[in-house]
Amino acid sequence: MEEKKIKLLVVDDEVQFLDSITKRLELRGFEVTKATNGTEAIDLARKKKFDIALVDLKMPGLDGKQVLEILKSEHKYIEVIILTGHGSLDSAVECTKLGAFDYLPKPYELEDLILKLKEVYKARLEKKFRDDKEKMDKIFQIALGNSPIAILEELKKLDDEEK
Amino acid sequence: MSDTKNPNTLNFEIDEGKYKTLYRRQIFRLILTYVLPLLLLILFFQIEYDKINKESTILHLKSTAETQAQTLDLFLRERVVNLLNLIDDPRFEENILKNNIDVFLDKLKKDSEAFIDIGYFDSSGIQNLYSGPFPNLRNINYSKEQWFQTLISNSQRYVITDIYLGFRNLPHFTIAVKKYSNGKISILRATLEPIKIYNFLLSTTVFRDVLITLVNKEGKFQLTNPGLGKVLETSPFRPPQEPKVGFSEAIINGKTFDFGYCWLTQTNWCVIASSEKQNLIVGSSFQKTTLIISLFTILFLTFVIFVRAKKIVEFEKEKEIAEMEKKLARLQLEHASKLAAVGELAAGIAHEINNPLAIIASEAGLIKDLINPDFKQNITFSDLIPHLDNIQQSAFRARDITRKLMTFVRRDDLKLDYYDVNQIINELLEGFVEHELFVSNITLEKNLQPNLPKVWVDANSLRQVILNLLNNAKDAITGQGKITISTFQDGEFVYISVKDTGCGISQEQMDKIFLPFYTTKPVGKGTGLGLSVSYNIIKSFGGTIRVESIVGKGSKFTIVLPIQNKLQ
Repeated sequence: MEEKKIKLLVVDDEVQFLDSITKRLELRGFEVTKATNGTEAIDLARKKKFDIALVDLKMPGLDGKQVLEILKSEHKYIEVIILTGHGSLDSAVECTKLGAFDYLPKPYELEDLILKLKEVYKARLEKKFRDDKEKMDKIFQIALGNSPIAILEELKKLDDEEK
Repeated sequence: MSDTKNPNTLNFEIDEGKYKTLYRRQIFRLILTYVLPLLLLILFFQIEYDKINKESTILHLKSTAETQAQTLDLFLRERVVNLLNLIDDPRFEENILKNNIDVFLDKLKKDSEAFIDIGYFDSSGIQNLYSGPFPNLRNINYSKEQWFQTLISNSQRYVITDIYLGFRNLPHFTIAVKKYSNGKISILRATLEPIKIYNFLLSTTVFRDVLITLVNKEGKFQLTNPGLGKVLETSPFRPPQEPKVGFSEAIINGKTFDFGYCWLTQTNWCVIASSEKQNLIVGSSFQKTTLIISLFTILFLTFVIFVRAKKIVEFEKEKEIAEMEKKLARLQLEHASKLAAVGELAAGIAHEINNPLAIIASEAGLIKDLINPDFKQNITFSDLIPHLDNIQQSAFRARDITRKLMTFVRRDDLKLDYYDVNQIINELLEGFVEHELFVSNITLEKNLQPNLPKVWVDANSLRQVILNLLNNAKDAITGQGKITISTFQDGEFVYISVKDTGCGISQEQMDKIFLPFYTTKPVGKGTGLGLSVSYNIIKSFGGTIRVESIVGKGSKFTIVLPIQNKLQ
């Protein structure tokens, strides 16, 4: 693993599953935070920045779809992978339309998950990099023809966008 | 699954013996209804007819005897008067003295051809004068003859004898009259031909079948039909002395003869009108015709009954076949809908099974990691136990789900028995519904009345119906909601209600929800069989399903089951 650990948020109501997957991912160098329901996951995400969230689709309380929507609306760079034991993939596909990066049907091979996680992380980095570059360009643009106060205001706006 | 039966191989045989019995019963019933009353009617009619015929025959024989007796009486009186006229004639003495008795005979013969001869007697009893075909009878002494003594001793002026052979040895009878004049007795005696009288009598008889005979007090034939016997023989007819007119029976050559009789007033003769036949008046042909018509009617009726019974049996058979086919179709439909209901649940069930599988896979992977020297975990055996336990537990969890699924899908023949509705509901909920609803964010509330009386149902079918209602309730709810399942008893019925806080059913939909293949669910989700089959199942238990619904607020389906099932 590289110098910086990938921060994961795993949300599942099946505690046994949650514990074992957490342990396995930790053994592989991921920094994993567990949540047994949607509300807990959202709270945790507000306190700590995560790179990727693994969210079970069917859960009592807030279900995977709702958690996905909330996480995506609150955090610009979080990527969500939907886990589902559900027979039909319809709802999982629907989730990708709502902004999930991908979905994974349960049970799955850990290697597939790790591959996917790396893929997501890479995509997320690229996206972040693109966005940063854009931001830099913007800052550069702003800095070109504005007063210091106007520049500060524009920068603040950009920061707000990012969260 | 080896005990699973294909619905197409259901017992589908017609019990021929049952229909043979039905056929026999139908014939028996129809004959009892139609032929028997007719037979009794015919019998009654025949008996009544015979009775009337016999009565009228008797009446006729009696009246014939009476008429003939009166005629004969009149005839005899006339003959007596003929003789009295002669003896009372003023010229009688004159003619006697002249020995002119032939004149008397001429005169008598003019009055009646029955007269044979005539004779004159004085008190000595010697036939002094005679005129007729037997001249040797003259001067014979008749004083010992009974008629002579009777005439002399009686106050009556005349005597009529029975028929006898007498001195001439030929059947005849005598009419004698007397006269006293100047202390001297004169007697005039004439004999008469019985055959002439008999022919006279026969000429006044109406019916050929009626035989007229005459017997005396001793029962000897006086006049007779040659077929019955000879004159002066003892007759089989024994008419009683009293009453003077009457009816009786006699047996001649083994045949029963009815006869009417009437005693004469002039002499001790009795007229007998007899007949071998009892249907003298109307005749037997009418009776025969009615009998033949009746028999043909009965024959025809029997034929119709046999045809009809066969038709009825065929109709019943067809009905049973149709019913069997209907039942078969219903069973197939039920099974299809059961599978469909399971299909609707399949996604949920997959979730239920995939979760433990995911745990197993994950735990197994973890154990692999833990004992992998690369990860340097320094693991002990006891560290592994919880993970192995988890694997085991999850495997059993998956097994329980498949097992429960199988008990539900299994196609058993109906096993009707008394079942506890609450137990069926609890088993069903614990199986997969409860968790399924839980993860779907639907609150499940149970209001099961304890100690419900058991109801006569098939547990599998009822489970299917309840699951169906729960599926519908779940599908009606989008997002969060609540399903309330309640049981209670009210009077003779047990109620199972499934209430949801879903979208409700519009009035337009309400008319169609129990129709087969009607569904409001998206294509591929519902078959439209659930409610229609559920309704049929509950109906087959003698119950019904009620629906209440408010659009936007929710629906409530109530299964009503009779505690005492009339169909069992």
